[in-house]
Amino acid sequence: MGKIIGIDLGTTFSAMANVTGGEPRIIENREGGRTTPSIVALSKSGERLVGVIARRQQITNPQNTIFSAKRLIGRRYNDPEVQKDKKLLPYEIKEASDGGIEIKMGENWHKPAEISAMVLKKLKQDAEEKLGEKITDAIITCPAYFDDSQRKATKIAGEIAGFNVRRVINEPTAAALAYGLTKKKNEQIVVYDFGGGTFDISVLDIAEDTIEVKATGGDTHLGGDDFDQKVMDWLIEQFKKDQGIDLSKDQLALQRIKEVAEKAKIELSTSLETEINLPFITSGQDGPKHLYYKMSRAVLENLVSDYISKSINLVKETLKEADLKIEDIEEVVMVGGQTRMPKIQEEVKRLFNKEVNKEINPDEVVALGVAIQGEILSAKDEGRKTEGDVKDMLLLDVTPLSLGIETLGGVSTVLISKNTTIPASKSQVFSTAADNQTSVQVHVLQGERPMAKDNKSLGQFILDGIPPAMRGIPQIEVQFDIDANGILSVSAKDKASGKSQSIRIEGSTGISKEEVEKMKKDAEMHAEEDKKKKELIEERNLADNLIHTSEKTLKDLGEKVEESKKKEANEKIEELKKVKDQDDLNAIKEKNSQLSQIMQQIGKDAYSQEKAPEGQENQSKENEKPEEGEYKEEKESN
Amino acid sequence: MEEIKKELEKCKKEKEEILNSFKRERADFINYKKDEMERAGKTLNYFLEETVSELLPVLDSFALARKEAPEKKEGWMEGFLKIENQLKEFLKSLGVEEIDASLGKDFDPNFHEAVEVVEGEKSQTINEEIQKGYLLKGRVIRPSKVKVVK
Repeated sequence: MGKIIGIDLGTTFSAMANVTGGEPRIIENREGGRTTPSIVALSKSGERLVGVIARRQQITNPQNTIFSAKRLIGRRYNDPEVQKDKKLLPYEIKEASDGGIEIKMGENWHKPAEISAMVLKKLKQDAEEKLGEKITDAIITCPAYFDDSQRKATKIAGEIAGFNVRRVINEPTAAALAYGLTKKKNEQIVVYDFGGGTFDISVLDIAEDTIEVKATGGDTHLGGDDFDQKVMDWLIEQFKKDQGIDLSKDQLALQRIKEVAEKAKIELSTSLETEINLPFITSGQDGPKHLYYKMSRAVLENLVSDYISKSINLVKETLKEADLKIEDIEEVVMVGGQTRMPKIQEEVKRLFNKEVNKEINPDEVVALGVAIQGEILSAKDEGRKTEGDVKDMLLLDVTPLSLGIETLGGVSTVLISKNTTIPASKSQVFSTAADNQTSVQVHVLQGERPMAKDNKSLGQFILDGIPPAMRGIPQIEVQFDIDANGILSVSAKDKASGKSQSIRIEGSTGISKEEVEKMKKDAEMHAEEDKKKKELIEERNLADNLIHTSEKTLKDLGEKVEESKKKEANEKIEELKKVKDQDDLNAIKEKNSQLSQIMQQIGKDAYSQEKAPEGQENQSKENEKPEEGEYKEEKESN
Repeated sequence: MEEIKKELEKCKKEKEEILNSFKRERADFINYKKDEMERAGKTLNYFLEETVSELLPVLDSFALARKEAPEKKEGWMEGFLKIENQLKEFLKSLGVEEIDASLGKDFDPNFHEAVEVVEGEKSQTINEEIQKGYLLKGRVIRPSKVKVVK
């Protein structure tokens, strides 16, 4: 049985996806692109081109390069929308015998469905190549406002391309699917889709078994491209004012401005200000001219505020049509690249007075949603549970917060980090802090702060009977294990004696959303000072260690250490002892480094003493030779 | 007795389902790991492409500067334009090549993007290169922008 893929057949761009490894993923086309322009052309040499290649030669071949076929599919020629769009199309269309539309490409007339089929065929071939297997079935999307005839034509397009079209589903529904919202019941959802060329609003009613489209609205000629145009116009205006030159007449300059305008718009979604820099944009009477402006987010928002208000008003209108109030809407979904703009997110959030769903890549959310639908159907065909569902059944949770234990200096050491899918298990080996320490206390903590006292204590226990040894020698293995029900078991085992102790903690995942958020925010707010505190503790631990090993080394080496060096080492040890319990991080670092240095020198001296006493090096080398000889003889005698 | 039989049947069926789901999950995981290795490699290439693409406008500016440079390129000017060489050499070492979009060459949408149509002698040939195009490891990362003869 072939795979089912989901296809978002868009007006300007199309994308395809399927579910692999439980995750919906975009399938790249042959050129490596995650989207494919919905453009088909017949080149001058009679070759059929599809996608990005077709777009590149569009301008040399406008009459035979067919784009936006979606505006014509399944419509009647006399449709006022068609007549309006006809004015913008450089290719020829005519009325078909059945009242439909036919498009001229080369010498032939094609139905819009045939044109879309050519795009779909390329997607099919590329997908089969990428996935390495035949693809027989597909689910294709269409706008929620498509009527029966348009949906049928979309299905036919898929069939012409060689697909068994299992379903034609609405784009907003696919988006809702991607967010898992279709599992809810009796909820009203608004999908706000602001793409490159069109703006669509859909109001969906998610019932027990059905998803109903209550109303649709929007503007089929309002999109991100219009925003780019505003930025372009602004740049040309500024340049005219400053330099007295009108760049709109200069083809090359216009090209460059168009590119940077879109780039600047995109940058301002993440930065408050961006630089627009086009050196050598043109030549004036007194030499080359350069375009350089800084654009702030505020300026951009001003330029497009009318468009944004228009979109909000259209949402209000559509709600009215659906006979619903703002409060009736439970979820809002953002679709389309332009929804990345912070101002748009803000306005929509303000309108609905709630957070909007925007985490999934808005350019891909529809394709990903259709892929999920494909997986649901696949599962049904094969008589199994869907990959996503199975995950839900067995792995319901993630740990919302990090889990760990308290270690030397009151530090919190994480064993299982937050957002780990469960069941999960992690272990780490720890040791003792003091010489002859025969018991350890395992204090289990939950939270994101580096210091134990700032985290939540889940429980503690003691493991004793550890054979006495130098600090740092014993090996205590601490294991954290969370089962599918969220029950945490923490155990500590001394590898030498085999003794172990454990504790069982229930409800470690059952922490309220609010509490989780609060703890995360606390961690963020205190991140800087916590980092400093942790550094201080670590440096202090290092100091303790150094003092301990240094004193031991000096004692062990005894007479072998040169008097002056011994004096210096002891001095450094005393100095370090003085500062380590204070809060001056740099002072501790300095003393640590000084003590390390002198101890290293002492160590080096000790080693070179062992190798050969001074002035006798050559002799010892000679002595080695006979030793080797002896060894050889012994061997032979064996 | 009947009840127990039914219960048993149900349990058996559930066990089969769960066991199969588990096997599938395991297999998916193993396959996923394999895919991930591949993906890691692809991601590196992807980022390389992204980064190189971002550097191209810098090359473009140099090309434009060169066009406007005075005839005699001495001293400071010469040194400054040598910086272009540094950048070009670096990109070359990453596998970047220029696309051939010379005058008279046949227009090929696999490598060129037409931005303007002009009158001329040989139809469908390149009349002027507006912006250089580049390949990265043999793949087009930016097509050449050209003027094409009608």
